[in-house]
Amino acid sequence: MSKQPTPPKWAMRFFQWYCNDHLAEAVLGDLIQLYERRSMSIGKQRADLLFIWNIVQFIQPFAIREKTRQSHLNLITMYRNYFTIAWRNMSGQKMYSFIKVGGFALGLATCIVIALFIRHELSFDRHYEHVNDIYRIYNQTEGPEPGKWTAFPAPFVPLLKSSFPEISLAARLIPYNWYNAGNNLVRRDDQIENTYEEGFAYADPELLEILEVPMVYGNRASALRNPNTIVLSKEKAEKYFPGQDPTGKIIVLNDDVKNQTLTVGGVMENFRPTSHLQFDFFITLSGEEFWPGEQTNWCCWNYNPYIKLRAGTDPAEFESKILSLKKVYVDYLVKEKNQHVDDVRKYHSFKLQPVKDIHLYSEGIHDIIPHGDIRYIWMFGGIAIFILALACINFVNLSTAKSANRAKEVGLRKVVGSYRSSLVRQFLSESVLYSLISFLLALAILAIGLPYFNKLAGKTIDVPWNEWWFFPAVIGSALMVGIIAGLYPSFYLSSFKPIDVLKGSVARGMRNSSLRSVMVVFQFTTSIVLIIGTFIIYKQMNFILTTKIGYDKDQIIMVHGINTLDKQQQTFKDELLALADVENVTLTQYLPVEGTKRDMNQFWREGKSQEEKSHGAQVWHVDEDYISTMGMKLLSGRNFKKELASDSSAMIINQAMAREFGFDEPLGQRVMNWRTWNIIGVVEDFHFENMKGEIGPLCFVRGNWGNIAAVKVSTDDMHKAITSITETWKKFMPHQAIRYTFLDESYARMYDDVRRTGNIFASFAVLAIIVACLGLFALSAFMVEQRNKEISIRIVLGASLQNIFRLLTDQFIKLVLISFVLSVPLAWYIMQKWLQDYKYKIQIGWEVFAAAGIISVMIALLTVSYQAIRAALANPATNLRSE
Amino acid sequence: MKGTSLGEFEELVLLSVGALFDDAYGLAILDDLQKKTSRNVLISSVHKALVRLENKGYLRSRMGGATNVRGGRDKRLYTLTPAGVSVLNEVRELRNLMWKNVPKIFWEGGKA
Repeated sequence: MSKQPTPPKWAMRFFQWYCNDHLAEAVLGDLIQLYERRSMSIGKQRADLLFIWNIVQFIQPFAIREKTRQSHLNLITMYRNYFTIAWRNMSGQKMYSFIKVGGFALGLATCIVIALFIRHELSFDRHYEHVNDIYRIYNQTEGPEPGKWTAFPAPFVPLLKSSFPEISLAARLIPYNWYNAGNNLVRRDDQIENTYEEGFAYADPELLEILEVPMVYGNRASALRNPNTIVLSKEKAEKYFPGQDPTGKIIVLNDDVKNQTLTVGGVMENFRPTSHLQFDFFITLSGEEFWPGEQTNWCCWNYNPYIKLRAGTDPAEFESKILSLKKVYVDYLVKEKNQHVDDVRKYHSFKLQPVKDIHLYSEGIHDIIPHGDIRYIWMFGGIAIFILALACINFVNLSTAKSANRAKEVGLRKVVGSYRSSLVRQFLSESVLYSLISFLLALAILAIGLPYFNKLAGKTIDVPWNEWWFFPAVIGSALMVGIIAGLYPSFYLSSFKPIDVLKGSVARGMRNSSLRSVMVVFQFTTSIVLIIGTFIIYKQMNFILTTKIGYDKDQIIMVHGINTLDKQQQTFKDELLALADVENVTLTQYLPVEGTKRDMNQFWREGKSQEEKSHGAQVWHVDEDYISTMGMKLLSGRNFKKELASDSSAMIINQAMAREFGFDEPLGQRVMNWRTWNIIGVVEDFHFENMKGEIGPLCFVRGNWGNIAAVKVSTDDMHKAITSITETWKKFMPHQAIRYTFLDESYARMYDDVRRTGNIFASFAVLAIIVACLGLFALSAFMVEQRNKEISIRIVLGASLQNIFRLLTDQFIKLVLISFVLSVPLAWYIMQKWLQDYKYKIQIGWEVFAAAGIISVMIALLTVSYQAIRAALANPATNLRSE
Repeated sequence: MKGTSLGEFEELVLLSVGALFDDAYGLAILDDLQKKTSRNVLISSVHKALVRLENKGYLRSRMGGATNVRGGRDKRLYTLTPAGVSVLNEVRELRNLMWKNVPKIFWEGGKA
C-alpha cells in the first residue's frame, strides 16, 4: 500500500474544499483510481499533472459546494445588532472614540489632499487630443560639460520640417525675456494709458495648432500667420477689449508706436492650469528677424522647438533620424573654426520629450519653465502613506488596547453560539463604521483645509465633488481602509477563549504590548523624521536669505518700465539722485534676481578664437553707479568712469570668470567675443542665479540705458521714499502708473519653492505629531486605567507623586528615545539627498537632531503626563474601595 | 416532450448505466463510453451528466463498493429508475418512428 504512489496532497485537499459532499467522496475515489492506473502506465509525474488538471476540470457549478445559506432576515438583524453595539461602544467612551475617529479623519484628510495634489500634478499636459504625437526637442551633451537645454538656433525647425515627412507640424517658441517676449507695457492704439503685462512669448503660427489651443475669436490656423500679429488670452482680451471681438484691432507695446504695433489675430482660451506653458500673449514669429541674417544663422540658440508627429511614427526611431541634422551644425562650427566642434561631434545629441512628460520629468533640462518634480510626487506619496499608516496604527492600537473591555462580550457571544467568523464580521463592520464616520469628518476637514493647502503649495486644487467617481471612490476607500485597519483587531478580539474571559483571567491587553510598542516607535520615528526634515529645510531657507550673497539686497527699490522714458532716462536718474533719501541710482536691465535680463556670450582670450575653446559668460551692461548701488565689492582694479571714453571697451569681471580663464592677474588682460575688451577690474562673486547652481562667470561692460532703475535709499521711512520717487515718476510719465518692487522681495521670491517645501513639510510634521500624540494620549489613558489598583496601592504604601509619574512615563519616553535613535540616520540620509540639489548649502549639524529629539520627548512627555499626574493625584480610596 | 429531453451524451450515459447494471459508477461509465465510442471523454463531463440525470429523476444512487485501488474510497453507484427506463424507451420509439418514415428507396439508393 505504501508503495502505491499517491496524488499530491494539496490538490486533494483543495478538491475537498470546493467540492460538495454529494460528489466529493465518489469523485475523489474515481480520480485516485484513474491516477493509479495512469501512474502505472505513464509515470508519476505526468499522472500528477493530469490529476491536477482533472481537479481543475471539476471546478464547475455542478460540483462546487453551495454556500451554507443563512436566512437573509437573520443577517440583516445581525448587522443591525453589530452596528447598535458599535454605536453604544462609541458613545459610551467618548474620549476614545473621539481620538480614534478624529485621528483617523485627520490622517485621511491629509491623504486625500496629497492624493488630489498628485492627481493634479499627473494631469499636466494630458488634455490634448493627440497627446501622444506632440513632442518638444531638447539638446543633450554628455562628456566633460554635460547639460540639457531646449533652445535651438532659428533655422533648426524649418530645416527639421523640410527634412522629415514624419512631422506634420513644427513650431518654435521663445518663452523667456528676449526682445518683446517676457514683459511689456501694453496699450490699445486709441488710448494713452500704458499697463504692465507679463506672459509674452514669441511663437510660430503652427504652435497654436500643435498645442491645440482653443480659440475664442479667430482661426487657430491663421491667427498668427501674418507678420506683426498677436494673439491674446481671453482674460487679457476682456481686459483691453471688453465685450467685443478684438480681431483686427491694434495694440502698442512699450509706447513705441513706430516699431512695436501689433494687430490682434485672434483670442485664445486661457491656458489650463495644468499646462506647462502659461502665456497671455503670443507674438508671431512669422516675418520676424531680430537682426539681419538672424533667421539663417546657427550662432544663436534662442528657439524652443515643438513638433507634432504623424500618427504611427516611432519616436525612438525618429529621434535617431533627426541626429543627421547635427551635420549642418558641425559644418557651421567647422566654418567658424570653432574649437568645440569635436565635442559637438562626439557628445551633442537631439532628444524628443513627449509633451505629457514635460511637467514632471524635466529635471536637469534647462528651460526656465516652472516645473513639478516627479521626486516630490514620490515623496509626498510616501508621506501620505506614512500618515495613513500612523492613523491606522492608532486605530489598531486603541482597538486592541481596549480589548479587555470587549473580552466579556466576545466570551458571552461565543457561549451563546456565535461563530468566530461572525465575530470577525462584527468587529470588521464596527471598524468600517468608524472608518465611514472618519471619512465624513475627513471630507469636512478637507473642505475647510484645502484653501490653506492651496495657499501653502501655490496650487489651485479643487475637490472634485461633482465628478461621478468621487463619492464611490471615497466610500470604496472607506470600506477598504476600514477593513484593513479592522483586520488585526477583529481577529485578535475574536480569538478569546470564552472560559478564560468569563473567568476573568485574560491578561488585560498586556499580551501584545510589545506589538503596541513597535507601533508607537513607528509613529514617532515618522514624526521625528518629518520634524528634522522641516528644521533642515527651514535652516537652508534661512541660510539662503541671510547668507552673504556678494551684494546688498536691502533697501533697494526697483522702478520698472523706465525704457519708456527713452531719452529722458538720464534726467530721471539725476532727479532721483536729487531726492533726500536716495543714496544711489543705477539704470540697467540686469539684476541678480530672476526675471531680469540675461545675456550669455562666448569669450576667448584675445586672438585665440580659432585655437582655443570658448568660455561662456554673462555679459551685463551696467552704468558706473551699478557696483556702488548694489553694494558689490571691487576686489582689484577700478570702476567704469563716466568721463573716460575709452571705457566703452572696458570690462569688469567676477572672480569666477577670472578662474575660468585662469587669469592670476586679470587686470590688463584682454578677452574677445565679437570684439575685444580690456579687463579693468575684478568684482567679488555674487549670486545672480538660484543657489542650486554654482556662481558662473560674469562680466560687466559699460552701458547707460536700462528698463529698471535700481534705487538705493537710506532711510527707515520706506513709505516716504516711495512717495517721493512716485512723484518724480509722475512728472515724467503722467500716463503710466509707476511699478516698483523691492530687490529683497524679488530675491526671496526666487526661493519660493524652498519656502513652500518647508511649509508643506512643517504642516505634515505637525499633522503627524498630532496623530501620533492622539494615539499616545489614549494609550497612556489606557495604561493608567489598567494599573489603577497598582497605582493606588503604591500610593497607599507611600509612593510619591514623582515615583508614580516616573512609573507611568518611563516606558513611553523609552519608546520615543528608540524612535529618535532610529530616525536620526534616516532623516540624515534623506535630507542629505535633498541638499544635494544646492551648490551652496548648510551643513547638517548635531543641533538639528538634538532639537528634534528634545522636542519630540517634550511632546510625548506632555501628552503622557496629563494622565500620569491625574493618576498620581487620584484618591486611592476610591479605586480600592470595592475590594 | 418537455422534461424528457435527453442530450445525446446523456442518453449514452443512461444506456451505459443500464449496461453496467450493478457496478455503474463514474470511472466505469467513463471506460465503457470510451471503449464503445472511441471518443475521448472527460471524467468531469461524466459526473456532470450523472448529477444532472439524477436530478431529473432518471437515476438513483447509493454509496458503496470501496476498494483498495481507489484509496479506500466509496463509489457512488447508479441505477436506472423506472422513469429512466421509460425515457430511454421513449427515445428509442421516437427514433424507430422516424426511421420508418424514411423511404426505403433512400436506403437502397444510399447503398448503391
